[in-house]
Amino acid sequence: MSGLFAAHNRIAVVGYAHSDVVRRTAEPLGITALRTARAAIEDAGLTPEQIDGFTSSSLLPSSGEHEAQDGISVVTSDWLAKHLGGHAHYVAGFQGIGQLTGSLSLAISTLASGAADYVLLHRALHNPAGKYNDNPMTEFAGDQQWSAPQGFFGALPAIAMVCNEYCQRYGADRESLADLVVEARKNGARLPWSYWHDKPLTREAYLAEPPINDPMSRLDCDIPVQGVGVFILTTAERARDLPNKPVYISGQGFGYPLHHRIPLHWTLDEMMEAGEGLARRLWESSGLGPGDIDTAQVYDAFSPFVYIWLEVLGFCPVGEAHRFVRDGGIDSDIPESLGALSGGGAIGNGRLHGLPQLLECYLQLSGRAGERQRPTTNAVMSYSAPHFGGAVVLTNDPV
Amino acid sequence: MTNRPLPVPDETSAPYWAACAEHVLKLPRCSSCGEFTLPPDVTCPHCQSPEPDFTFEPVSGRGKVRTWTVIRHSFLSGFEVPFLLVDVELDDQPHIRMVGRLVDGPETPLRIGDRVAVAFEDLSSDIAVPAFTLAGAS
Repeated sequence: MSGLFAAHNRIAVVGYAHSDVVRRTAEPLGITALRTARAAIEDAGLTPEQIDGFTSSSLLPSSGEHEAQDGISVVTSDWLAKHLGGHAHYVAGFQGIGQLTGSLSLAISTLASGAADYVLLHRALHNPAGKYNDNPMTEFAGDQQWSAPQGFFGALPAIAMVCNEYCQRYGADRESLADLVVEARKNGARLPWSYWHDKPLTREAYLAEPPINDPMSRLDCDIPVQGVGVFILTTAERARDLPNKPVYISGQGFGYPLHHRIPLHWTLDEMMEAGEGLARRLWESSGLGPGDIDTAQVYDAFSPFVYIWLEVLGFCPVGEAHRFVRDGGIDSDIPESLGALSGGGAIGNGRLHGLPQLLECYLQLSGRAGERQRPTTNAVMSYSAPHFGGAVVLTNDPV
Repeated sequence: MTNRPLPVPDETSAPYWAACAEHVLKLPRCSSCGEFTLPPDVTCPHCQSPEPDFTFEPVSGRGKVRTWTVIRHSFLSGFEVPFLLVDVELDDQPHIRMVGRLVDGPETPLRIGDRVAVAFEDLSSDIAVPAFTLAGAS
């Protein structure tokens, strides 16, 4: 595909709701999701009977030994559609790593094709009891035989190596990472629903935290939580009759691995190479460029992802993101900055897999960001890493 | 000998692990295009042949350090921390990367581009896993 997105500004987000973000709760995840879904439907000025499309991704992203139970520890669209008691015409789950942008794309396609009129997009994250990632396995068959026996296991070692390569190559260090983690936590502390509400992080506390996989510490990673976010989407025509200011989808871009590697071996070069194509498709499909964007909510499950996305999307030259951040380029208290973590991101909310990014874009563009409201016409959000993820441009001024 | 997790060789990997046990690094090579691949896949990632008939052939096992991390908390049991993992780009073919422990120890000073050579850690009487050791200029 090249050129303007066929569904350019034809699909809109018309309502939302999210749960509080808590570390753990005895409440089954499905109950949190149902309550949040009903609130989002009401927010959009609709009734559950009108929701005829459901899309989501349900993966529980832990490397520990946790069994996924639908309605308890994960919530699929099938489960939600059935338990909400509506009249589903189309239900689809996204299978892949770029979960939120992938399932948002399913929602867009569902509406653009006419398979449904009102789509409920949700993401529900659970924090299982016990260790999240620790794994007691003593043998590895299949794909992981190529990585785990060397001690290379879970997402963090590879991301730490990507982070180190970035730092070594471009002169960043833990002082640089402190700039963005402190910014994320500053913004998260201002959100009443965040796990980190009223708990900002000082630079000194960040620097005092020992690395677990050098150069990254726990504070460079989002904390596992339970939380649910729901968005209601419909066509631009139907959106006109609904109470909230519509936020239109202008374009989208996705990236995929370029090289066959051992499991979870993500590399800096691959992220940047795949990111070039992703960014090209994103800007072509939206008819906009980085200079048109008022806020960029970039994914930050791991702190170095912020650098990678800022560079891939063209907000600063390659290798310069750590200086861009240091110099206030994303500081939410500077009106002309990108405010890239103004919604707290994952580090300032908890492990919500892109929900804070999409939520902040929606709130800013719909004029519903309250005290955090910044003048915003065009926004971009990104999810995962560029070689496995996606980015979406949204606007409140469809041309 | 160790409590570290062991690989379970299968029909796609048995020659690799058999060679490792002899402290020889053999990588799967596509019979159609001759390119090395790690790990083997059901097709060849280079030429997309659905019948790659991978053969396992010795490689130099030498390369350069692309990046590294010191693991101070391991998500897997059986590993003594800290240990150092290196991401190595092998000389044998562009884009072939391996991740292994640096047997020189967790405090080893490293720079991007440092030369390393494959080494092996014996985990049981018939299983050894690849690792790396500093090789100096070469």
